[in-house]
Amino acid sequence: MTTLPPSSSNGGQQASSGFQRLHPGVQKWIWQQKWPALRPIQEDAIPPILVGQQDVIISAATAGGKTEAAFLPIFSRLKDATRAGIGTLCISPLKALINDQFRRLSAIGEQLDIAVTPWHGDIDAGRKKRLLKQPSGILIITPESLEALFVNHGPDMTAFFQGLNYLVIDELHAFIGSERGKQLQSLMHRVEQVIRRKVPRIGLSATIGDMGLAAEFLRPGRADQVNLVISEEEGQEIQLQVRGYRKVEPDLEKGLNLGSEVETEQTGDSEDEIDIAAHLFRVLRTETNLIFINSRSAVEAYTDRLRRLSEQQRVPNEFFPHHGSLSKDLREEAEQTLKGDQPANVICTTTLEMGIDVGAVKSIAQVGAPFSVSSTRQRLGRSGRQAGDPAIVRFYISEPEVTPTTPQPDTLHPALVQTIAIVNLMVFKRWCEPPIVTKLHLSTLIQQVLSLIAQYGGVNASQLYQVLCQTGAFRQVTQEMFIKLLRQLGAKDLVQQTHDGVLILGLKGERLVNHYSFYTAFQTPDEYRIVTRGNMLGTLPITSPLFEGMYLIFAGRRWKVLAVDAERKVVDVTRAAAGRVPRFSGDAGFIHDKIRQEMYRIYRADDAPTFLDKTAVDLLREGRENFCRLALDNRCWAKNGKHTLLFCWMGSQVVNTICLLLRTQGLDVGMEGIAILVRDISPERLLEKLEVLVESGPADAVELAAIVEDKVGEKHDCFLSEELLCWNYASSFLDSQGAWDTLKRLTESNN
Amino acid sequence: MTAGTKIKAKDRDAVIQSLRAGVVPRSGQHLIQVGRAQELDALIKDIDRIGDGGSAIRFVIGEYGSGKTFFLALVRAIALQKKLVTVHADLTPDRRLHASKGQARSLYAELMRNLSTRAKPDGGALSSVVEKFVSSALAEARSRQATPEVIIRERLDHLSEMVGGYDFAEIIAAYWRGHDTGDDVLKSNAVRWLRGEFSTKTDAKKALGVRIIVDDANFYDQLKLFAQFVRLAGYEGFVICLDELVNLYKLANTQARKSNYEQILRILNDSLQGTADGLGFVLGGTPEFLMDTRKGLYSYEALQSRLAENTFAGDGIVDFSHPVIRLASLSQEDLYVLLTKIRHVFFTGNVDAYLISDVEVQGFMQHCFQRVGEAYFRTPRNTITAFINLLAVLEQNPGVSVENLIGKVTIETEQNPDLLPFEQEEDDTPVSDPTLADPGETEADDDLASFKL
Repeated sequence: MTTLPPSSSNGGQQASSGFQRLHPGVQKWIWQQKWPALRPIQEDAIPPILVGQQDVIISAATAGGKTEAAFLPIFSRLKDATRAGIGTLCISPLKALINDQFRRLSAIGEQLDIAVTPWHGDIDAGRKKRLLKQPSGILIITPESLEALFVNHGPDMTAFFQGLNYLVIDELHAFIGSERGKQLQSLMHRVEQVIRRKVPRIGLSATIGDMGLAAEFLRPGRADQVNLVISEEEGQEIQLQVRGYRKVEPDLEKGLNLGSEVETEQTGDSEDEIDIAAHLFRVLRTETNLIFINSRSAVEAYTDRLRRLSEQQRVPNEFFPHHGSLSKDLREEAEQTLKGDQPANVICTTTLEMGIDVGAVKSIAQVGAPFSVSSTRQRLGRSGRQAGDPAIVRFYISEPEVTPTTPQPDTLHPALVQTIAIVNLMVFKRWCEPPIVTKLHLSTLIQQVLSLIAQYGGVNASQLYQVLCQTGAFRQVTQEMFIKLLRQLGAKDLVQQTHDGVLILGLKGERLVNHYSFYTAFQTPDEYRIVTRGNMLGTLPITSPLFEGMYLIFAGRRWKVLAVDAERKVVDVTRAAAGRVPRFSGDAGFIHDKIRQEMYRIYRADDAPTFLDKTAVDLLREGRENFCRLALDNRCWAKNGKHTLLFCWMGSQVVNTICLLLRTQGLDVGMEGIAILVRDISPERLLEKLEVLVESGPADAVELAAIVEDKVGEKHDCFLSEELLCWNYASSFLDSQGAWDTLKRLTESNN
Repeated sequence: MTAGTKIKAKDRDAVIQSLRAGVVPRSGQHLIQVGRAQELDALIKDIDRIGDGGSAIRFVIGEYGSGKTFFLALVRAIALQKKLVTVHADLTPDRRLHASKGQARSLYAELMRNLSTRAKPDGGALSSVVEKFVSSALAEARSRQATPEVIIRERLDHLSEMVGGYDFAEIIAAYWRGHDTGDDVLKSNAVRWLRGEFSTKTDAKKALGVRIIVDDANFYDQLKLFAQFVRLAGYEGFVICLDELVNLYKLANTQARKSNYEQILRILNDSLQGTADGLGFVLGGTPEFLMDTRKGLYSYEALQSRLAENTFAGDGIVDFSHPVIRLASLSQEDLYVLLTKIRHVFFTGNVDAYLISDVEVQGFMQHCFQRVGEAYFRTPRNTITAFINLLAVLEQNPGVSVENLIGKVTIETEQNPDLLPFEQEEDDTPVSDPTLADPGETEADDDLASFKL
């Protein structure tokens, strides 16, 4: 049992000053924990939080003491506060995290006689009702449940929150840039609006390089006034490995080979897939892990292989699939097993990670290259949550064997290099994708408009604009745009107007608001169905722009897009001229410029990262050799038969824009992984066309967006008019200035 | 117009201060009443019928700001004069006709808080009504040489056939017991029960020995019981005024809205079939609350058929026996008369003290028309406020000329105060301040302020 030295003791030990300022009840609890001292981050956080005039961000690695740093002073303040109503509102992204948080905080709360209440979809109604009647203490809630409170109990919200001292956001980094994050920003503002005063906001965040991003998210427009408390301590240990595999063509028949028995029923399995499955089986069994794969069909395939391996080894199956096309029962089965005590390994698509609402797993495995640093970091954060546990992640990257007929982009082994780039940025540079500040988030704005109307029973147009856009979260939306949006909502019967000008919900709007799914701002994107001549080929998640006449890679073949039905999510295609098709289509998601730039740097360097296994090191060497062979260190293009490949080394926004620009020049294009394939043109002619584009200056992104067929992506985008969709799409997916700068750079360096 | 009548200072202050605040004055409505003679007659006939033991229901439908609330207040004042008991309340998102979370009970509580009699026209008359009943029972007991308790039970006997009647009688008996034994706590508990302020049955059981309370499910039955009770207490009848029914129209939850409309249907049936004796309902709402076939009363099939307009009426042919009374918007001439009446009241009936002439009043109206167009006389609330402000300035600044002041008059737009920004933005986005004069606003702001779908 140690005692903390009093602040008046000799010398410079001011370390306990924070402790002294806490309420005696809190001090007693700390003593009982037998901590030798408060951690530096806790000392630093206590004064600004106790004063309660500033917003604060506390940044530390997992299990770095963030929760205590925030809540010890919060509990102190609550002990002294006398106002009725909820004292502290804490918003957290996952139910499992809320349950964890509740367990830790209620222990302190019980001793101090301060109520701590969790609130999400799994909490029983009786408990919620009791809190509504007698609100007090700390409330831990998801953004969706908070939205539901506003919609269903609007008139009570002022009394409910009138005594609010603090607004805490847990896992702040997980919200930045997403639709859900936008919804959260709007909700934070609405809480302050309903009690008509600012409340100090406290963000708990993982360590990301640029904390300014987090500050701007927490308090838009006032980021410079946010107090940043950053931990210098070492984070959790990360054990990371990138394993390389060579994919040999499936014409060589190899079935699963396990000792004596040779099964050849699945002749489609290539050797690399077999090897990956075998390794997964070996290292992941008997523990609880998550395995992420990029497409639903691959999830099914691997689940199948792992199950058969279990059968053959006569061990119980621990592998369960989880993706959007599965029935609810099967998905729930997977989630239940994860929560249980038995070892469980869930194989899921990368898009469904928010749906896996469970806490800690032992390790993460990813098959196929990741495309975003923040989502990879989030996945990493799922592993090893107990103090002292390392975070373990394994990447399984499969690259085609290089033969004379291998398509050129594949010879660079881009999947591997992309993975290395992301690991470098995530672990060594602590970088994180910045949110796209120009993004309009019109889908979430629609949700907030309907929610605000439901909260107050009816609101007039100018006050809607004031609360949501002028002072609220949607500051990029102009008045003109907002008026058009309202008219569109009226046309779709989401809102209607009373004779005194007040906007109320229309019948369709009511149905939408009354449905339980309304409170969620995001949706997992549906995959598009690819059909040709009436036959369905399969499904594909599409994140790049689709337009008529573009080239698409699917099932190892190249197709030309004939028509796109955005409502039914169907793409009609026809076989394009033959030619080898690269395996790495890179179509799994939205890539930031920096990742491509890092890839370029890696190609030009010659060191091999320590986290690669032998095969991966070999593949990297090969890739670099081919990079030089194609002379890509000097040029941005490569001749491909009659066509030309253009290498921009920029992210999705720029590449999408350039594709559309080339289309306006009458060229046939398709995105092929890290390069753009421009058909029927020589490199010289292509450069000429690029120069023409440079001369005409940066294009109008909204006009370009008109070419794109699949602009409906987010949940409420289906209600937008074509004009609004163009604005919305352009603001999120296109970067006209960046594209022009890139083209300028490419044409200059080649002349 | 009686130019010479004396106006009591109390009435004058009540009227002017209420109008300035944009609300209907509680007394003195007759001083500023304009037009609507036939509608008023119809309501008076209703009140007489209620006094005779019949029942009535009226939907007073008028545009937002057309003077519905004023009309309702006038009707209430007349009912009080005729010795009826009135209760009134505004519906809000928190106060409805049907609910499961206490919103109906809170409507009942508000109604009872506002219970008024001729002697106490400002509400809070519930205990006097109960007191009156008990004293008259006492008097009868003395004359008939019986115990008051027996008399009370006798009188309340036929109430016990109605829903909740037995417990109601128990409460009155408890009141009597408290009165008799000098137990003030028991008396006040009984009154609290009648006001719907008991929220749990255990509390009621402890305090009064009854096992039911007024809650969402039975508050309408309680109202009917109370209507009988006031007649037994010697009053002529019971009138319930509910305003701002548009709040039901605005309910976001479809099911909640339907249940509330069902309740209205129940009330309508009881009134028209005469099963609610001595009880009258006057309900105020907007035209779209009534007629929107998707969300209004007409969306409920049974209500639409009962409330459908008389096919022979319209175009100047009127039928005031129909449950729905439409208040036409004020015309410009009506507004002129209204402003002159207000002027008359403002200067306490003293024609010589008028600081603004008839011509100047017309000038004021002209200016308002230029500012906000027809709205100035159709929805006169803000115009009246501006006018009274003008008179106040004239009164306190003798030298100022009327033309100057008229030029500076502004008409505010309606804003929900909860949604106004709560802190000044320090950057360049201007917060739209509704009291700023015109030139500062950009065209786009106007677009939003006058936004029409």
